[in-house]
Amino acid sequence: MSLGDRSEGVARLRCAVAAIEGRREAAPTRAVARLPLTRALDRALGGGLAADGLHEIAPASPADGAAAMGFALALAARFMAVRGRAAIVMAEDFALAEMGALYGPGLAAFGLDLSRLVFVRAPDAPALFQAMEDALKSGAPAAVIGEAWRLKSYDLAASRRLLLAARAGGAPALLTAASAYGAAEAFSSAAETRFEIAAAPSAHLASAGCGRGLPGAPAFAVRLVKARIGAGGAGQGADPTRTFRLVWKAEELSFDEPTLSLPVVAAADDRPRATRA
Amino acid sequence: MPRLTTDRARRAHEVDPRAPLAVVATVKNARRLVGVDAQAARLGLCVGLTLADAQARQPSLVVCDAEPEAEARLLERVADACARFTPLTALDGRDGLMLDVSGVAHLFGGEDGLVAEVEARLSRSGLTVAPGLADSPRAAWALARFSHRRVAPAGLAGKDFARLYHDMPTAALGLDVETCADMARAGLRRIGDLALRPRAPIAARFGADVIARLDALAGDARGAISPRFSAPELSVERRFASPIATSEAAFVALARLADDLAQLLERQGKGARRLELMLFRVDGGARRVQVGAGRPLAEGKAMARLFAERLAGGAEEEIDTGFGVDLMRLSCLVAEEVAPAQGEWERLDESAGGRTLADLVDRLSARLGTRRVTRLELVAAHLPEQAFAATPAALGEARAAGQGNRHGEGRSGQAIQQRSQRLWIASPSARDDEACDAPTRPLRLFERPEPIETLAEVPDGPPLRFRWRRVLHEVAAIEGPERIAAPWWRRPGAPTRDYFRAEDALGRRFWLYREGLYGRETTQAKWFMHGVFG
Repeated sequence: MSLGDRSEGVARLRCAVAAIEGRREAAPTRAVARLPLTRALDRALGGGLAADGLHEIAPASPADGAAAMGFALALAARFMAVRGRAAIVMAEDFALAEMGALYGPGLAAFGLDLSRLVFVRAPDAPALFQAMEDALKSGAPAAVIGEAWRLKSYDLAASRRLLLAARAGGAPALLTAASAYGAAEAFSSAAETRFEIAAAPSAHLASAGCGRGLPGAPAFAVRLVKARIGAGGAGQGADPTRTFRLVWKAEELSFDEPTLSLPVVAAADDRPRATRA
Repeated sequence: MPRLTTDRARRAHEVDPRAPLAVVATVKNARRLVGVDAQAARLGLCVGLTLADAQARQPSLVVCDAEPEAEARLLERVADACARFTPLTALDGRDGLMLDVSGVAHLFGGEDGLVAEVEARLSRSGLTVAPGLADSPRAAWALARFSHRRVAPAGLAGKDFARLYHDMPTAALGLDVETCADMARAGLRRIGDLALRPRAPIAARFGADVIARLDALAGDARGAISPRFSAPELSVERRFASPIATSEAAFVALARLADDLAQLLERQGKGARRLELMLFRVDGGARRVQVGAGRPLAEGKAMARLFAERLAGGAEEEIDTGFGVDLMRLSCLVAEEVAPAQGEWERLDESAGGRTLADLVDRLSARLGTRRVTRLELVAAHLPEQAFAATPAALGEARAAGQGNRHGEGRSGQAIQQRSQRLWIASPSARDDEACDAPTRPLRLFERPEPIETLAEVPDGPPLRFRWRRVLHEVAAIEGPERIAAPWWRRPGAPTRDYFRAEDALGRRFWLYREGLYGRETTQAKWFMHGVFG
């Protein structure tokens, strides 16, 4: 947990109380330069993820595509919560056909507010990049996610354009390169940050019946392949050999670093006295 | 347009203009002429003649096949081009157009001037026109087809009316062939024969329709045309003395038009939700471009930008000025009251953010199409693939509110969302607080569930391992079944699905289902991959 989490948590609780009381309180809006993720990642990134940069997210293997998109959506959910604005999710047609369409109830369960999401389907990659650029420049959304499949037209110039648009609009561009599995180190671009995402085994819960446990909260294994730290940044930079493990808490809209722990018996304060003996 | 078929064939096939031309089609198992041009008509050929006879009479006859679809398209294009005269244009049969010119003739120097202008424009693009202009649509129809006169003076009655119409054959009433033949057998060949006789016997013998048509001809009964496009609420247009040929100049003109329209809208306190730009080219072509806006637009600049966005889309979307555009018309098809701006300080910032988002959505919708820019709404349905609906985001908040009212509850969307969150908390795994963070619905859903091969301990148990897209996954953790039955009231006998959330050894999470209850519905249960979790 990072320093930002405390005030964030208080603001979130305040919103929840207002919702219960039936008031409609304006969501907290503040311009963040860097969005805190978790303590270890923040140290590497120099205080959090830049809120006006281009961040690339690549899956580690073909089967990790959903995890990569999940990570991007989680980041967008955090940006939406902090800024109180809508996010735009764009995807290339082919990526949606190949990886499955984004599913409304699943997004809601993941912690995203559907009433503040706009979905855009682009016929091809150049149209996607142009739409992303326009969306970023307008300054309206809290974050723009783009899922690209054909990366042929994504070069230094294209990424530089996205980066400049993100700077101009003050919103982060989260580009998911769905087809670039395992190639996170291979391509060069103007992006500030590049993550390689793999799904990680979740903390299984003990099941009543069979021997296998129940799947727990979504977990990611994050490798920070590239991190460009500004002159004033105090980050450690990228260390591709290191893997961060994150767990997404959908209800709190925050990442958690699981401590290395084994499942233990639950605290027994509400258990009948007789069984303890 | 009596020679539409041959005019089209001449344009399409580049026939020698001096040769007589006929268009043929198969009618009642024989190749017959369905259209002849002026020269062929002069040589004595007529519609209905068999092709063999016609060629025997005139060996030099050039023959083309009839293409009804192409002719219909041409007629629609001409109708579009005629929208320069009046917004109310209608197709009339397969070879005619009806224009409602009430109140527009003075713009073209009276009715004679209007008819001359129509004829000049259409004949310049190679079409033969037989115009007719009269008080009622039926009279104009009769005049165009059965008389050499073009314009019937307004308010014609009594003797003048009789002189003009009573000599026309009964077919000028637009009656079908059998009725005309019946009348001819009874000695009624001209309209005068019908009009001067007592009406009751005629109605009794030939139907009341004949009398109704007689009344419509005289203008006693108001006939209305059914226009292709309804008249816009407001429209502004600009005519150019010398046609403009570059798209830059067109955009400058468009910006001025948009400013004019914005002024008109402002006077009514409205904003435009749907706009249409029509470009009329000198060579008779016309182009319609429509854009929609998510919120009522009142600024001319925003309207012009939407069109610029739409027209910059691709090669086929660009403005094709051709030999030049000589008339541009910008119409507001749907207008809406503009909500007064919020004056409160607190809301100011939020509404400004909302407006930039609405502008962005409009621009993206104009460029990519409204179906590609959507919002997702939750729907109260049990089948997972029907549990959400994508609505075009450009429809804006108004539509969303309307849908809420239809459900009888203003905030039904939110209610469903809350319900789904409760569902997720009350899921079978919610044995303690930790489990709340595991979503029960996948992030991505495959449009068509993909069949997988599975291995399970018992036929109705959860799978041990499965093969999906040629990769074998060992199941490390699994939860289920969540049983979802098909809606029996709609499709009885559809198999029940048992859904499982499975996590493989590497942590990827999948949503699988088995189709059919083992033993009761099937003995060969099939497994499918329906979605993946993030």
